[in-house]
Amino acid sequence: MSSSVSVAAEWDLLSDRFYRRITIYSPLPWSSPATTTASSSGGGSSGVGRLDLSTHIVAAAPFGGPIAAVRDDSKIVQLHSEPSRRRLLLFSSSGHPLASSPWTPHLPRLHSLAFSSSLNLLALLSDGSLLRFRLPDLNPITSSSPVPLLPPASGGVADAVFWGGGVAILTEDNRVVVTTDIEVDDPHPRELADPGVAEDEQVLCMAVVEPQFVMSGSPEVLLAVGDRVVAVDEDGVQVLGEALEIGPVQKMAVSPNGKLLAAFAHDGRLLVIPTDFSRIIFEYECDSALPPDQIAWCGLDSVLLYWSEVLLMVGPNGDPVQYNYDEPVMLIPECDGVRILTNSSMEFLHRVPDSTTLIFGIGSMSPAALLYDARDHYDKQSAKAYDNYQLISSSLPEAIEACIDAAGYEFDVSRQHTLLRAATYGLAFCSRFPHGRFQEMCKILRVLNAVRDPEIGMPLTVKQYKLLTATVLIGRLINANQHLLALRISEYLNLNPEVVIMHWACEKITASAAIPDVVLLEGLLDKLRLCKGISYAAVAAHADNSGRRKLAAMLVDHESQSSKQIPLLLSIDEQDKALQKSIDSGDTDLVYLVLFHIWQKISVEKSAPLDFFGVINARPLARDLFIAYARHSKHEALKDFFLSTGRLQDAGFLLLKESRELERNPMASKGSPLHGPQVRLVEQAHRLFAETKEHLFESKSAEEHAKLLRVQHQLEVSTKQAIFVGSSVSDTIKTCIVMGNERAAVKVKSEFKVPDKRWYWLKSCALATVGNWDALETFSREKRPPGGYKPFVEACIDAGQKTEALKYIPKLTDPGERSEAYARLNMTEEAKKAASEANNGDELFGRLKSTLAQNTLIDTLRDRLSFQGTY
Amino acid sequence: MAQIPNLDNAALNLTALREQSQKELLSIIKSIRGKKCLVIDPKLAGTLSLILQTSALKEYGTELRILSADPLQTECPKVVYLVRSQLNFMKFVANQIKNDESKGLQREYHLYFVPRRIVACEKILEEEKVHQKLTIGEYPLYLVPLDEDVLSLELDYSLQECLIEGDTSSVWHVAKAIHKLEFAFGVIPNIRAKGVASTKAAELLNHMQLEDPVSMDNMGIPEIDTVILLDREVDMVTPMCSQLTYEGLLDEMLEIHNGSVEVDASIMGAQQDGKKVKVPLNSSDKLYKEIRDLNLHVVVQVVRQKATSIQQDYAEVKSTNTQSVSELKDFVKRLHSLPEIARHVNLAQHLQSFAAKPAFHARVEIEQIILEAQTYETCYEYIEEIIQKQEPIETVLRLLVLFSLTNGGLPKKNFDYLRREILHSYGFEHMPLLYNLEKAGLVKRQESRTNWPVISRALQLIVDIKDPEKY
Repeated sequence: MSSSVSVAAEWDLLSDRFYRRITIYSPLPWSSPATTTASSSGGGSSGVGRLDLSTHIVAAAPFGGPIAAVRDDSKIVQLHSEPSRRRLLLFSSSGHPLASSPWTPHLPRLHSLAFSSSLNLLALLSDGSLLRFRLPDLNPITSSSPVPLLPPASGGVADAVFWGGGVAILTEDNRVVVTTDIEVDDPHPRELADPGVAEDEQVLCMAVVEPQFVMSGSPEVLLAVGDRVVAVDEDGVQVLGEALEIGPVQKMAVSPNGKLLAAFAHDGRLLVIPTDFSRIIFEYECDSALPPDQIAWCGLDSVLLYWSEVLLMVGPNGDPVQYNYDEPVMLIPECDGVRILTNSSMEFLHRVPDSTTLIFGIGSMSPAALLYDARDHYDKQSAKAYDNYQLISSSLPEAIEACIDAAGYEFDVSRQHTLLRAATYGLAFCSRFPHGRFQEMCKILRVLNAVRDPEIGMPLTVKQYKLLTATVLIGRLINANQHLLALRISEYLNLNPEVVIMHWACEKITASAAIPDVVLLEGLLDKLRLCKGISYAAVAAHADNSGRRKLAAMLVDHESQSSKQIPLLLSIDEQDKALQKSIDSGDTDLVYLVLFHIWQKISVEKSAPLDFFGVINARPLARDLFIAYARHSKHEALKDFFLSTGRLQDAGFLLLKESRELERNPMASKGSPLHGPQVRLVEQAHRLFAETKEHLFESKSAEEHAKLLRVQHQLEVSTKQAIFVGSSVSDTIKTCIVMGNERAAVKVKSEFKVPDKRWYWLKSCALATVGNWDALETFSREKRPPGGYKPFVEACIDAGQKTEALKYIPKLTDPGERSEAYARLNMTEEAKKAASEANNGDELFGRLKSTLAQNTLIDTLRDRLSFQGTY
Repeated sequence: MAQIPNLDNAALNLTALREQSQKELLSIIKSIRGKKCLVIDPKLAGTLSLILQTSALKEYGTELRILSADPLQTECPKVVYLVRSQLNFMKFVANQIKNDESKGLQREYHLYFVPRRIVACEKILEEEKVHQKLTIGEYPLYLVPLDEDVLSLELDYSLQECLIEGDTSSVWHVAKAIHKLEFAFGVIPNIRAKGVASTKAAELLNHMQLEDPVSMDNMGIPEIDTVILLDREVDMVTPMCSQLTYEGLLDEMLEIHNGSVEVDASIMGAQQDGKKVKVPLNSSDKLYKEIRDLNLHVVVQVVRQKATSIQQDYAEVKSTNTQSVSELKDFVKRLHSLPEIARHVNLAQHLQSFAAKPAFHARVEIEQIILEAQTYETCYEYIEEIIQKQEPIETVLRLLVLFSLTNGGLPKKNFDYLRREILHSYGFEHMPLLYNLEKAGLVKRQESRTNWPVISRALQLIVDIKDPEKY
């Protein structure tokens, strides 16, 4: 096991746990003079040169994110070959320059830099205003002027703490202002409760418990004031841990899970306390009473303290580990360790994972260590390999698991290799081990190795990667303009490449201002075709926003989803095309969308609605939908439309509708002399119908309608009863007869040329209604009724007058009708007799029988079952 | 028995479909905390009764109201409108909100469109200046299972919209509904369409499949093999004829709504008069499943035979003591069907009181004569007579449409005469109605000879109704 010894030799023991420092990138390009000159001579990136942590304000994003720096002008600096104007510099974690932009002069002093969780660069100025920059090109977000976060006259920034989603600022006059929506265009800073710092007191240091760890969901700010620590939130101030008698705290850091606080007290003690200050978990007395420059948690188990040239790692037990640095250091806390950035290297300090300890621990005889050893023997073709296997055969799965797991923690590719090979050796003997686990780790490692490459410079660990998720990683890659890698990773992981291609296309458009539309379109389409169902409309919208309307129009043609395509066509003023596409889509809602858009535009531009009518009249669906909508709320516009497009009959019907509405409205009809307005509308309609030959019938009917309204009005005047208007011609006649006004009835009959047949029906019915049987009989004798005596028979039967009915039944000429009439009076014998006279007698007879029989049948059935009420 | 049909015997998993709709509705209700008043449009209220028990909604602090033109009466601080996206409802909503405001009532308003938001509706809300006050959402209810073998789109006015107004929204709705089904049951490989609207629907469906493909990865063979789309226009004759089956007559006489009829309690043999009871009609009722499509005469016989056989069994059970336990069990099982038998005895008897009337027979007879298309004069005179007698206009128009369809229209003189008689008898306000019927081609002037007799004979479209056993 000699090979393993060297691995563990690099570890440091902190009480019972091992820690190790892995050098990820060294030397960093910015530290080597050769690269410096190379890059500074390379066109756009002039000024990207040496980065000295001691002379710069630096920010580094967690999860292996980029590093930003601006020269600290509060320090005296010797400029080597650098320009004297300050620049904002952006590097990858591997020290490769990504971008730089000149720092706007005459701004207030820069207080601090930080990255938000979606990797925007934030720069807090000493007056409490905030500048935000988008990566990767460092373009300012929303505007180039800073956004003020502090209320006026607060004295500027005394201290500030950033976290992924916000910033807490302590002002010079000891107030606390918190901003949690730092990514939105227009952030809303909130002032917390007054921490109550007395005139002669000083805030020594501050820390923030991030909102996700606080019950209330808003951040809690811890301030060390005098010899107490106060917790400030929106609702109030709470003094913490008075009973613990900690004394003045010089430096604080909250653990990654938000539960613990590392506090460096004035007497040189490092204390670890829960954030509620209920007790002291442990304390360690440092040699120096001077507060450390930096304090950071390394995972959840140890705390790092950094004084110039000395980095001290303190654990819950035992002696601390000391590392010496002869150059300035920046601690970048990660979820599973701390990255240590120096002028020349990027290191990662973390606890040695259990699986790694099992394999490489000195003297480890764990199954995993034996398996690792077995593979070594196997490669040397030594029979000992099999001996090892036999030793561990029972615990093979856990040994394999440990090898796979340990491989994941390695940054060194060849060591990943050896560990995975060890795992495969075990796998060969162990079919029950889930092979998917092995493949999954291989996949993860391939992705991690790809992004760890110095060219990309994202030194993620397995744990960070899992926390970050592949989707976010891809998002970060495309934001760093690493589209090809992002695309390959999405394909490799079977993720939808849409987001990558879309972003690429948009970036391509932004970057290709000089390329002609047609050429650019071809290039874009080539790639967009790779992804089925991609939204061309979104890319087109970007093209439009970049001032390339023609390109947008060409792109939007390729969009297959009408619901996305049409709004865009409207926004680029392609109304006709939008209208046509919406009609083709068959989705009436989209047609309406376009219609309203055009309609609104016309009313804004005050152009004649005729244009609109012309546009829609050529398209039946659009036209009909407009009509349907206008019927509900735009009568006048609809009338205009009908008249201007020659649909006079439709305008006529619209007038009739209005006239009916007048009728329904009692204020307009009753009491008004002549029902003038209503009649006028009907007459107007009549004239419109008369304009076309096809609507002669409607024209005549409207004319008659107007006449009827007049006649009815006269009747109402003469009878002093408002019961006529609104009824039909037939009903008017009936009403007259019922009122005994025969003359008026005859007048209406002749005026409206009511056929005799109808007259007989109406009059017999009316007379029967009032029970005037004598008059009915007289009427029957006037002359031979044109349609026979059926009206008389039915009027009597309907009124239940058997005797009266019998006067007329024999006069019915058709025996079938006679038979039916008798049947209705339940005169079975007479009905049968009449039926036998008819030529279709048998059929009639049969029907009679079944009608009569069925009722009795069901009735008896119901009685026999007698379960009433149950259903 | 519940009005919500049992779907266990359905060929497709319609229960899951219904549960999805239930869940979506409940999550809307739950998303609005506290006491709220749910205002539903009248038609939708009926539809929802096929999806869940309305009492289930009350558990979430919900009061139910039906949307109308009147002001809303409720104490609830939150109002949730659930309405189909129809233009006319928007005015109601707007008026109710304005009414609340005039009374100084501060309420929170939500509006859920069924099945989706529509620009035109929102436009009206904007014009009425209430759009800002509403939180707008969607309840994507496209299909409702009416029975184990029937899904309804609940598009009552689609024919009118397509034929007369030229508004083809419902065609899109049909395609969308089928496309939604495909997400549950797989892409349907065969689509057959007959008629202009159906062809368009098939085309749209095809387009939707391209725009928003259904992933077939975790589905096996598509559960639906073929969809056949038919325009109503393909056969306008059938709906004009009187229905003669048991279910048909129930609908004709009592009107089946959402799988149930409402009748007087006295008809169902209950004592309390004047009260209305709802009788559910769906295949969960085994007897109904058996007799729903039979002629009323046959129904009466079937019901009688069932009743008699139970009666005999009962007599046997009473008189002899020799039955084995299993025989008794069998008998008890059959007794369970008694309420079903009673229910249909009651309904059938009620129908019989209509169907036995000479007027009904005369009507069926004249329909038959019209369908045979032999004696023009008889039909013409019959229709003239019922207009002059002022029989219900629906009856008149159904016969007139049937007459026009089978006769290829009416000669101009007769056409104008009958139309005038209708306007004289029923009022000039029916002018647009006649115009629309003409526009839809349902009643028209004769332009060419009819091919109806040829078609009906060649395709054997007409069954002889004089022989009730035949169907």
